[in-house]
Amino acid sequence: MTSVDSPTPTADPVRGRQIEEYVFGGLIVVLGIFTLVEAGTIKVPASASSIGPRAFPYAVGVLLVATGLAAVVATVRGKFGEQEDAEDVDADARTDWLTVVKLLAFLVAHLVLIDLVGWPVAAMLLFAGAAWTLGARPWWKVLLIAVVLSLVIQVAFASGLGLSLPAGIFEGVPLLDG
Amino acid sequence: MDNVTLLLEGFATAMQPEYLLYALLGVTLGTAVGVLPGIGPAMTVALLLPLTYTLEPTAALIIFAGIYYGGMYGGSTTSILLNTPGESSSIVTALEGNKMAKAGRGAAALATAAIGSFVAGTIATVLLTVLAPTIADLAVTLGPPDYFALMVVAFVTVAALLGSSISRGLASLALGLFAGLIGTDTLSGQPRLTMGMSVLADGIDVVVVAVGFFAVGEALYVASRLRHGPVEVVPLGGKWMTREFWARSWKPWLRGTAIGFPIGTIPAGGADVSTFLSYAAEKKLAKRPEEFGKGAIEGVAGPEAANNAAAAGVLVPLLTLGLPTTATAAVIVAAFQSYGIQPGPQLFTNNPAMVWALIASLYIGNVMLLVLNLPLVKIWVKVLQIPRPYLYAGILLFAALGTYAVNFIVEDLVVLLVIGVVGFFMRRHGYPVAPAVVGMILGPMAEEQLRRTLTISQGNPVALVDSPFAMVAYGLLALVLITTLVLRLRRNKVDEVKVPA
Repeated sequence: MTSVDSPTPTADPVRGRQIEEYVFGGLIVVLGIFTLVEAGTIKVPASASSIGPRAFPYAVGVLLVATGLAAVVATVRGKFGEQEDAEDVDADARTDWLTVVKLLAFLVAHLVLIDLVGWPVAAMLLFAGAAWTLGARPWWKVLLIAVVLSLVIQVAFASGLGLSLPAGIFEGVPLLDG
Repeated sequence: MDNVTLLLEGFATAMQPEYLLYALLGVTLGTAVGVLPGIGPAMTVALLLPLTYTLEPTAALIIFAGIYYGGMYGGSTTSILLNTPGESSSIVTALEGNKMAKAGRGAAALATAAIGSFVAGTIATVLLTVLAPTIADLAVTLGPPDYFALMVVAFVTVAALLGSSISRGLASLALGLFAGLIGTDTLSGQPRLTMGMSVLADGIDVVVVAVGFFAVGEALYVASRLRHGPVEVVPLGGKWMTREFWARSWKPWLRGTAIGFPIGTIPAGGADVSTFLSYAAEKKLAKRPEEFGKGAIEGVAGPEAANNAAAAGVLVPLLTLGLPTTATAAVIVAAFQSYGIQPGPQLFTNNPAMVWALIASLYIGNVMLLVLNLPLVKIWVKVLQIPRPYLYAGILLFAALGTYAVNFIVEDLVVLLVIGVVGFFMRRHGYPVAPAVVGMILGPMAEEQLRRTLTISQGNPVALVDSPFAMVAYGLLALVLITTLVLRLRRNKVDEVKVPA
């Protein structure tokens, strides 16, 4: 496997998964408590009939707390969640956190760049960055596909659908600026 | 008017070149996303929801239904020819189909899957045509407590039956309900759980939630443990259809249909359960049980038929009660809603032209899918081989585009990112994502029915169960839950077979 560069903080992957399960279950409980607290602050109009806007949020909060706790308890009893399988998932591979972080970084860059330099450039960066991160080579091919794909989408939106994505640096360019 | 007349009128509409083109577009897209790992019909329909702004309802729904049916066909090609199968509703197909392909009988496996899907899909669509109007007639009399009961049934079954852990399924449902709460309360006009953020005041768009959970979550998850190297496809070999092929296939097709359709109509976990049951049945009835695990054609024919019959079955509660029992069905409900149409019993009385054209298009779509998936299978093999870095980069790009195109605001992309990360961790820890999407879409509807019920009864909670229908619904829910436990034990037995294979 090529995921040699994955920095795993814990030496023991089982222990790491266990901690993660606790944290995720715990966060669901916290979200539930947050929902319960917030539900208490929802303004109930005087006209509200028997059951107002608070009841359902309370119920959802309780469900979050209960199911989060249940997941934590299941973990304590050694019942881990089954990791999902998929055609492209290598069941034996260890989690490659670096790849995940890089992909998130490209998504963040994409959403920041849309308003700064326009959608086509932001899209090129997202596609090329993600494909490169996932192992596409050589770089010129990645870049070429990214440029063609984002320009085609831009033109399709501008001329075909009549919805215009922000052209940014291509502003005023025929076809690209809808 | 007579239902046959209405159906013929539906055909007259659906046969117009324009609608034929929409159906073709839908089934082609559906097959493509069925073939490709990482994207499914639910996410594709979600990404295409903005089409509802420009297309008229009939056209958009014909496309979405085509995607739904097409996804069922495409998945079998992947299971049979890809060395590394996945995707729940076709796992069973892979057990025998993949073995057949490796033994040089891939063509026969593909043929029995495609023709079986066609036979089952068509029979099940006939059943849908006959049953749906009748059920709709009965359902017209349902009141708010009955609808609330139905939604509770859908919540519990979807959450408890999908995935391997009931508590995690319910947690996923709760996360979806939470997402559905955010925004302005429709009845009182009060902001709820918006954390003072103006972007959240109108609530989170269904597109953002569905695309975040399905596309971004899935892409991140696969990327974290991506299988590197070229995509290995088993070369296609053997004869397509021989006399033995027909002799061994036709009974499993019919049995698969008989198992799949009823399971699809009840909220019992969708196509997944029906394929396991069909596989178990075929194995038990086989004349040569020793062939199972080594490439028995019956093990492909039955489950593939069951799979498609279940897909048609899912449309029965969707069209007649407005009740989605799978994630794709839930997103289709969102499509109806964006036209201001509430799927349910009134659909057949208020929008007969639309609903009958939709049903007619299902027949047409099935024929198109047979042609697309048999003679043209070589094209799909090419699609299947798209290098994975480009595939997942493309999924991320289209997810971001689909989300941005809803409102053209960058803030939606932030929400998408957050939901994507949640979806990623859910997959890592065995939380099924489908209940979250169903909860998000059905939650607000359930709350409305609950509050209506209690307003009418002036706060008396007995009103919730004070109707024969609601009582039956809650009773059946208990029954389904018990049956599931039994089915699960059976399924574990099938899994045991799988391990040594």
